[in-house]
Amino acid sequence: MSKTTNEPGKPAVDRRSFFKALGAGATLAATPAMVTPAAAVDPGKEESKARYRESEHVKDFYRVNRY
Amino acid sequence: MARMKFLCDADRCIECNACVTACKNENEVPWGVNRRRVVTINDGKPGERSISMACMHCTDAPCMAVCPVDCFYNTADGVVLHNKDLCIGCGYCFYACPFGAPQYPKVGNFGSRGKMDKCTYCSGGPEADLSPAEFQKYGSNRLAEGKLPLCAEMCSTKSLLAGDGDIIAQIYKERVVKRGYGSGAWGWQTAYKETIAI
Repeated sequence: MSKTTNEPGKPAVDRRSFFKALGAGATLAATPAMVTPAAAVDPGKEESKARYRESEHVKDFYRVNRY
Repeated sequence: MARMKFLCDADRCIECNACVTACKNENEVPWGVNRRRVVTINDGKPGERSISMACMHCTDAPCMAVCPVDCFYNTADGVVLHNKDLCIGCGYCFYACPFGAPQYPKVGNFGSRGKMDKCTYCSGGPEADLSPAEFQKYGSNRLAEGKLPLCAEMCSTKSLLAGDGDIIAQIYKERVVKRGYGSGAWGWQTAYKETIAI
């Protein structure tokens, strides 16, 4: 007959307590990652700079649109 | 600071679709995606009007408000752009946009939408200006070249105006004064009913 973990006098690390300890450990390990503050995407000054300039080409466009 | 805007003079639009073609060609827009479309109201009836529509680069853009990954951003000259590297193709922006501007190539597996594509006001994306990577993802960057969106520059009847909002609004006002009426303005009938004849 095989031994059971519930035998008196034995250090009982049965299946339930093993998974309980494992779960608690995993929760502790994951906590720092979860509390990291969320940051919105900052496209940066270079990406969001103004590209429009009133060049001769653009001035011509405005002029012909007045016809 | 100039704010970039589109303005379509509906009295001049002849539904030639040159703006649509110019946009597709200039930006090498994939099959199934139209960044710009011409919408015709009362087709074939008296009072028919056509309007060229694309992303209107809203000041408080609803697409930007609903995006779960915050992939949209505003440039200093008021253009609404997005980052395709962040886009997850969820489709929220498509439902939020009142103009139907966001489009999806639908090339992904299992019916997924793929990365969203929309009008960039011919000003590229977050990549370096005029780089091959920028062109491949977002199309041309004419604003960086000192030009305006090709759809407006190609318009044969000068119906589609683009550029600094203040200047194109002034050009439109001058046209209205010359015509003697403002029927080209959207919502004219809603505001003034039938009391003012067109």
